[in-house]
Amino acid sequence: MKGAESNVVEQDVQETPRGVIQMPGGILGFEHVKKYVLLGSREEAPFMRLQMAENPDLSFLVIEPGYVADTYQPDISEAEVEGLGLTRAEDAWLLNIVTLHQDGHATVNLKGPVLINRNTLIAKQVVPLNAADYSLQHPLPLAAA
Amino acid sequence: MLVLARKLNQNIVIDGRIIVRVLRVERDVVKLGIQAPTSIPVHRQEVYEEIQRSNKSALNTGPGSVPRLPDKP
Repeated sequence: MKGAESNVVEQDVQETPRGVIQMPGGILGFEHVKKYVLLGSREEAPFMRLQMAENPDLSFLVIEPGYVADTYQPDISEAEVEGLGLTRAEDAWLLNIVTLHQDGHATVNLKGPVLINRNTLIAKQVVPLNAADYSLQHPLPLAAA
Repeated sequence: MLVLARKLNQNIVIDGRIIVRVLRVERDVVKLGIQAPTSIPVHRQEVYEEIQRSNKSALNTGPGSVPRLPDKP
């Protein structure tokens, strides 16, 4: 599964998959929500929105880890990879959830990335085997205002 | 809570589709193997709870604006 992450960085962010992303296990804390739509726009790039398909008011801001952490190498278990039916590294698409805090700073969750199978559009929030190495609140570098 | 005694390499079957196996017992650490369908997420409770909290605070309830990243050199 190493190697799968490295090519994600090179992907065109605008190329968001069309269609509904199925998350059979949901996002932790939102297990009952199984369907999401991933929206990307030029204005918000490189951020994208993982929006609840049945409740468009609710969304998670997500970003590819390459923009925030150069050395991010989550070790995702074979069971997770197989569970998502991932057979080719290029089908694996990793996104991390961004939290915008009240005081204006932003952090990225590197401990529980969302892994999407681009081919089937089935996704899961996974906990990498080396999750202990990564921060739940990795600071997002922001441009000076 | 149901309490079951299990020996090394013995299993517990839950709902006919989840298997929990005792893989190793060493001092105060028990290593368990868990086999479950993908639709059933399995996590260590501490990790599960902190990611759950993080997700809840990350949920956006409107369009809002996104932060701007510094330009890459």
